Amino acid sequence: MASETLAAAVIGKVTVTPAEFRLVAFDAHELAALVAELAEQFGVANPIHLIVDEATPLAKLSAELDATSSDAPLTIRAESGALENMKQLTTFGRERAAESLGRMLLRARDRMRDDFADAPPDLELTLAQNAAWDAYCAGRLARRGHRVVQQRWRYNYRNRFGFTDRADEAFERLWAADDLGFAEMVAAP
Amino acid sequence: MRQFFPVEDLARDERFVQTNMAERMADTRVPGGGSQTSSKKASSRSSTNRLTPDRHDASDRARGLMHGIMVGEIQALEGAGRTAHDFDAGDGSGDTIPFALKLDMARQAWDEARHVEISAKLSAWMGTEIGEFQENTVLFEAACSNDPVLRLAGVNRALEGLAIDVFTQMKEFGDLAGDPYLEFCEDWMLADEVTHVKMGSDWLRKVTENDPERRSRALEFQQVVDKLFSFGGARGDTAESSFQLARRFRELAGFTDDEVDTIAELDEQALAERKAAVRAMNAASAAN
Amino acid sequence: MGDAPAPERTTARAPFAPWDRRDLPGMFDVAETARRVGNYKWAEMKLFEALGGWIATVPELDVKMRLGTHCYHHAWHAELWHKRLPELREMKPERLTQPANEAMVRFMDAMTEPEAPELTIEKLVGAYRVLIPRFIAAYTYHRNNTSEITDAPTIRSLTFILQDEIDDWRDGEMMLQSLISTEHDVERAAAHQARLEAIMVEAGGIAGPGTIGPTTVMNGGSPTTDSTTEGDA
Ligand SMILES: [Fe+2]
Ligand SMILES: [Fe+2]
Repeated sequence: MASETLAAAVIGKVTVTPAEFRLVAFDAHELAALVAELAEQFGVANPIHLIVDEATPLAKLSAELDATSSDAPLTIRAESGALENMKQLTTFGRERAAESLGRMLLRARDRMRDDFADAPPDLELTLAQNAAWDAYCAGRLARRGHRVVQQRWRYNYRNRFGFTDRADEAFERLWAADDLGFAEMVAAP
Repeated sequence: MRQFFPVEDLARDERFVQTNMAERMADTRVPGGGSQTSSKKASSRSSTNRLTPDRHDASDRARGLMHGIMVGEIQALEGAGRTAHDFDAGDGSGDTIPFALKLDMARQAWDEARHVEISAKLSAWMGTEIGEFQENTVLFEAACSNDPVLRLAGVNRALEGLAIDVFTQMKEFGDLAGDPYLEFCEDWMLADEVTHVKMGSDWLRKVTENDPERRSRALEFQQVVDKLFSFGGARGDTAESSFQLARRFRELAGFTDDEVDTIAELDEQALAERKAAVRAMNAASAAN
Repeated sequence: MGDAPAPERTTARAPFAPWDRRDLPGMFDVAETARRVGNYKWAEMKLFEALGGWIATVPELDVKMRLGTHCYHHAWHAELWHKRLPELREMKPERLTQPANEAMVRFMDAMTEPEAPELTIEKLVGAYRVLIPRFIAAYTYHRNNTSEITDAPTIRSLTFILQDEIDDWRDGEMMLQSLISTEHDVERAAAHQARLEAIMVEAGGIAGPGTIGPTTVMNGGSPTTDSTTEGDA
């Protein structure tokens, strides 16, 4: 991606690439400040590099942690759709970005736990594993005061685990949980 | 109340944010454009733009599409209501439309009102808030023509034809995902839309029976709208298309094979033009 | 099953069963019925056009959808009246698709005047607090006074239509009650209603003076009306 070669915006331990956006009206410094704020809220002390792919309006996200220590570099990759204001496309959406990046930071924090040692890298997770992890993260985000629509994540979970009472019960457990290991989190309903 | 109502004045509550085709076209990002984050294989279904449950973003895309359907239904409701209002009952010449066509438009208004109800319920079921996504008002624009025959061509045949394609895809998605409501609702809405398109096909033929020039103007307008509604080739017969042309339902709605082929060609043209525009835009920005 | 002979049975019965109390006389002849039906059709048409036109102008989503639903109800009523006219010897239904008088035209113009998005109360007041109650009154009078035997087709339509009118009136009134929340709103609604009601009084109702029959008693005798179009009983 050509834009990755551009200079980055840096705030504290957070670096955002690209420093300047051409296809979307994002401000790299605003993004970096948001990541720093979220990292503090969720107790993620690692150096963080956020790489935004502004060439696509899609919204895929992934987080990659070099090691499980708190000084290991964390790389978050986000397609621009994950950070934009859906009511005003191509402009920055703070609420949506906070929710997207918050999920990635919580994932990174989870990965630092011993019982997540077996978790495959983000891009190798199955669709079902992703849905379970998203539900687990979204519930925690909601409890930390972020604006999260629970039904959106319930619907996402149902799409992967079935439209059944069992799946709904499993979702409720994930949503309410704060202290799960990977195996427990992705267990089938 | 004015005889004709401009798209800029469509009344909405504060949750809605509107946009138009020009603004949407100015967004030059393309799905999959240069992404390194996705590990999709070129051969997988998710490497196309089509909405299928095996996409990583399936539920979010379905939510966005459902919201688009909901605002489209609102505009279809408004358009049908306006056509029932804007033209006096008469013999179909000038500013008049046959009384029976006015009745059909009122009937369509009721159907579209139900479609708004259905899509609002489905949106809530899918975890989408009203106004969560921006509203493209291009659909109502096609309902603004001062010639009622052009409205029939642009709205009932082009726009509602697109609805048939979109609903067919949504129905398939609901079925594959096992969603108990989605497939059921889309099936019902499809039945109504086929009726509306047929209504458009029948009235267009009838009203222009003795006016071949007016008919060809209407069909020309339909092609323009069809191409516009192709959303830069998002709909078409190719693997790159987000929506397949629902040939069987279109046949039920009064389209001939030739007409469907023409739409497929227009879709392809629109896709080629959009790709060229994006290439030009990228080249220009690389040169800067 | 004994030996007793079966009682003699006859199939001869009265044309009207004991519980069938329908009667022959009615207030309206064919011509008067056609005239009224033509007025109804004209007014239903104006109403469904107005509701259809207003859909795009109201920001309240529930009101928008309700207007679309009701638009069809009134179109269906207009269709029923349109189909009734040739059965009443009017082979060109358009000829009788007329307003009762010039005041009715002014009423419709005044009712359909509000367009701005902040005028939902005025739009609903015109349709649901003035015009639809007038429909309910006109149809009720017609149903209760026309011949129950000769004019059964009109009665059948009136019965279906009245059900719609009453349901729609209730919907409209509830929407209004949910929208009127301040003293200022109350004043707006009342002022607009008074303005429209005055024109409607001038018009004498949907079918003109005598729409709901004679209302005053003169010379100590039977009620009279100033309508000159009342048909023979
Ligand atoms: Fe529809
Ligand atoms: Fe439709």
